[in-house]
Amino acid sequence: MNLETKRKAESFIALTLSGLAAAVGLFWLVYILGDVLINGIGALKPSLFLNDPVPAGVEGGGLRNAFIGQLMITGAATLIGVPIGVLGGTFLAEYGRGSRTARAISVLSDITVSVPALVVGAFVWAIVVRPLHHFSGWAGALALSIIMIPIVLRTTEDMLSLVPWTLREAAFALGAPYYKVIIQIVYRGAATGILTGILLSMARVAGEAAPLLFTSFNNNFFSGNMNGPIASLTVTIFQYAMGPYKSWHEQAWGAAFVITLFILTLTIVGRVIIWWRYKR
Amino acid sequence: MKGTIEIEVKDLNFYYSGDIHALQNISFPIFKNKVTALIGPSGCGKTTLLRCFNRMHDLYPKHRYEGEILFQDRNILSNNIDLINLRSRIGMVFQKPTPFPMSIAENIAYGLRLKGIRSKSELVGRIEEALKHAALWTEVRDKLNESAYELSGGQQQRLVIARALAVEPEVLLFDEPTSALDPISTSKIEELVASLKKDVTIIIVTHNMQQAARVSDMTGFLYMGELIEYGTTEKIFTNPDNKQTDDYITGRFG
Repeated sequence: MNLETKRKAESFIALTLSGLAAAVGLFWLVYILGDVLINGIGALKPSLFLNDPVPAGVEGGGLRNAFIGQLMITGAATLIGVPIGVLGGTFLAEYGRGSRTARAISVLSDITVSVPALVVGAFVWAIVVRPLHHFSGWAGALALSIIMIPIVLRTTEDMLSLVPWTLREAAFALGAPYYKVIIQIVYRGAATGILTGILLSMARVAGEAAPLLFTSFNNNFFSGNMNGPIASLTVTIFQYAMGPYKSWHEQAWGAAFVITLFILTLTIVGRVIIWWRYKR
Repeated sequence: MKGTIEIEVKDLNFYYSGDIHALQNISFPIFKNKVTALIGPSGCGKTTLLRCFNRMHDLYPKHRYEGEILFQDRNILSNNIDLINLRSRIGMVFQKPTPFPMSIAENIAYGLRLKGIRSKSELVGRIEEALKHAALWTEVRDKLNESAYELSGGQQQRLVIARALAVEPEVLLFDEPTSALDPISTSKIEELVASLKKDVTIIIVTHNMQQAARVSDMTGFLYMGELIEYGTTEKIFTNPDNKQTDDYITGRFG
């Protein structure tokens, strides 16, 4: 066999194997998304969004409680997680830049990103739910924010590090104190990148059921009280999918579809911001 | 050379982190309202010396100054110098243009706001004045609210000079301000430097000897961290005392 045919054969084998691997991955992805789409679209009716759950067998129940609860928990998690993540990332990239502490925190947050969400849920259960003797929306928000913080922290650190040092030096050379350099120059240069990180971290936690299972639990009734158990889409999907009733399954499909769409939208907005930033 | 001494460098030694001895026993005066050029081959310490005058090295850990730099009779290397005040009196223009990610007008307003100027009408007046001072006004008067990144490299550099001038410094440091620019922009910056010396004292680092000869009154030649020779530009370029200076300006090394 001459060299050329040998190389062509090797190239063919590598191409076939990697192509097959991609096809297998893509097949399941399309299967799952297609399934959610087909089953979900049928379940979308106004009652799904406008009504609270009704006893099984009664017509016209919805998941208003879970939609509202989900928004409240995710919103509160964002309010807790984003300031801590952004300020922490600022410390790593600016005040603590290059120090041993900063590098250690950076590595630890990379590890925290891959901690199973269920472990985070159990952790918050142990430090908040058990001492207080009740589930609560705040505990759920705390669990989600713990997942968000390392993501926001690392994106912020990376985006701030991308702002050229000469720009900071130029601001210092005008007589600016460090906090003004950060807020007025560095944040402005890194704003779109940080925003993208925040959106993607929201997308990441919006689909989590495991950390909420032990913290905000669930609620079959409408509740706006973050101090008590509160419904969420993800836990409701889990509960309804396991349940025996056809109407529950239908609503779970609808909720799954809506939450997938929500995550897709956040991701697309994030990507569009990146694209818009780098085309200039 | 006669004139008032604005800055006096006395036995200056500077060490980077790891005890790299970057400047060795440097002493020389800088005269008010003159252009002083610092020349020398790459790595000779000219930029390091320039960055001592506004204490830019303080942004990075483990540096060390020894000796004195007297600016209007105060040692600016002393620990109780207010760096924010110092840097508003000794401005700096960098090698690459450094416009901030904001509009042309906002770029200049930035330094003014740092000085506590809030009044809208005063800001507008000072912005126009600074842009005229930096010979940029006629080119940008109709697009003051557009992003500074829309300007060409040469215009960006003049914008940065206008931004530095707006806060009315007494000394301006230029760190190879034209090395990233085309010849036409370069000659505009050189004319500007020459016209500015009636208002400010200028120290310019350049690796372009023709530029040093064209714009400066005084020239210092640095080599391996030492100030080999310092004198009037005319003397340094026509009849230097030192053999190394002569070799460098005639292009035998560097």
